[in-house]
Amino acid sequence: MLSQESAPDLMETQVMRLLSGVSTHGDQHLAEVERDLVQMDVLLNEAIKKLCASFMAIHHAIDLQQETLKSMLSTGKPAPEQAARLETLREEIGQHVGAAVTGLQFQDMTSQLIGRMVQHLAGLRDVFGELGTNGAADLPESGSEEMLVMLNRISDRVGARCSELAGTVRSTVNQRHMESGDIELF
Amino acid sequence: MKTILAVDDSGSLRQMLSFSLKAAGYGVIEAIDGEDGLNKAKQQTVDLVLTDQNMPGMDGLSLIKALRAMKNYQSVPILMLTTESGDDIKAMGRAAGANGWLVKPFDPTRLTEVVKKLIG
Repeated sequence: MLSQESAPDLMETQVMRLLSGVSTHGDQHLAEVERDLVQMDVLLNEAIKKLCASFMAIHHAIDLQQETLKSMLSTGKPAPEQAARLETLREEIGQHVGAAVTGLQFQDMTSQLIGRMVQHLAGLRDVFGELGTNGAADLPESGSEEMLVMLNRISDRVGARCSELAGTVRSTVNQRHMESGDIELF
Repeated sequence: MKTILAVDDSGSLRQMLSFSLKAAGYGVIEAIDGEDGLNKAKQQTVDLVLTDQNMPGMDGLSLIKALRAMKNYQSVPILMLTTESGDDIKAMGRAAGANGWLVKPFDPTRLTEVVKKLIG
């Protein structure tokens, strides 16, 4: 005997437990996916803004560099201020290229976030898979006690699948923006 | 010319590292994961190793331990360059033999300053 409760009551309790388990675990996976999508959106937006700004700044600096070079060529002999201007522009271009290099690293972080979302979605598929493989085809023909045992087993498996996933999928991307990270020498 | 081994499974990240370090006058050998990095480190002793942590197969911490077990890599500077910034994993990196921890994304100027400080 499973308990002193009546069979219909127990059945209802088990069905509710199963549905609640699926709902809770489904929510957990979807919440993680949602969190990663929001983080990825922020990183991509910042990266694209940074790259656009760097591209425009490099373009502008190269235009100025070209004008200075033209002017130098027309006079035949570079004036000291023209040489200094060229050096300043060279440094400016270097800084903008550096900012672009930082922005271009978005792919590394977003691909890790996508990988984690894929794992969560696979986990969700496994949860539903457990329901499918233990579903209608395996329903006992009669006997509410067998049904209760089966529901209990499905609930346990769904719980086990979710615990397995929680132990393996951790976030490795802490970045919330595209500014360069900290450096620590030991 | 000083040579740096850059280990990262992200192609775009390796490209950015290579671009930045070569512009600063260093030679760069690229490796796609820890195992590839270890093989390349055995073929040629480099002056500094920069490695990611999370890679398929051999990860950064395992690579550092394997390198530190080799006689010619006991004093070569090894830097971690990773998205991870937790104190626990940093402590593990330090215990494995890393000389420093850089959190992605990197700034080329700051990166080359650190490299210069370590190997000139």
